[in-house]
Amino acid sequence: MVAASEASSSAPARVSLVNPANAVTAARYLTLPPLYWAVAHGYHQWATIFILICGLFDKLDGLVARIFHCKSAFGEVFDAITDAACYGFGLILVAAFGWAPVLPVVAMIAMGGINVVMRLAYAKRAGRTTNYKSYAMERTVAYTGYLIGFATGGMAVHFYFWAYVPLMAAILVHDARRMLVDPIPPAPVAGAEVH
Amino acid sequence: MSPTPMSDATFKWMLTVLTGGLAGPWAIIDSIQLWRSRTADRRDPIVRDKQFGYVIGIAIGVIGVIGCLKFQNVI
Repeated sequence: MVAASEASSSAPARVSLVNPANAVTAARYLTLPPLYWAVAHGYHQWATIFILICGLFDKLDGLVARIFHCKSAFGEVFDAITDAACYGFGLILVAAFGWAPVLPVVAMIAMGGINVVMRLAYAKRAGRTTNYKSYAMERTVAYTGYLIGFATGGMAVHFYFWAYVPLMAAILVHDARRMLVDPIPPAPVAGAEVH
Repeated sequence: MSPTPMSDATFKWMLTVLTGGLAGPWAIIDSIQLWRSRTADRRDPIVRDKQFGYVIGIAIGVIGVIGCLKFQNVI
């Protein structure tokens, strides 16, 4: 009985793909059409509000996952993909409409692409759906969201955009070794915090 | 729909508060975290990752505050 209980407690928790946390993550895509509309019409304040809502949903999905106990490896990857899609779209949009300098945006998109490729290589090395936890990159996600807000709000735009580039480059160099060379930690078991 | 839901001055201060109100405390909190982690075993890659993250967090916080000051024409 004890052995059976231990065996069942160490089995990975199965979480449905359709859960409240993933729904909140998916809802972030709904802010993109209004964001485009606001930028295309030159409505700076509305554009800022829509990107703010997108950023708030980003913070909310983790909270919802904890409240409803639906944290999963897929959810983490979906969240990372949504970050890249929403903020990538926002950056391209503000650069295309001349609200942000093009060169740093091109550098950001390129470095973001390299980061995605490295994460895929990491998942392939691990042989499972997993997302490398980068404490530094987590901090730049908020900065990236804010960048779009700085562009839509006309707030020290060139300063913030150019300051981002060396930071992102430093993080890429640091994370490259961790993702491509260093040993991969074992998969977490049920009840343990996902890293 | 009105193209400007608030006045320009309100909007400018909202951006400043949203940015500075996050960036300032963020730099302070990550400074404290970095200070607390100084005795941790740096041979552990997770510890090194965290410390690197704190340094990046401090840098982002400082950049955020400087940007606010530039936006308000303080510097």
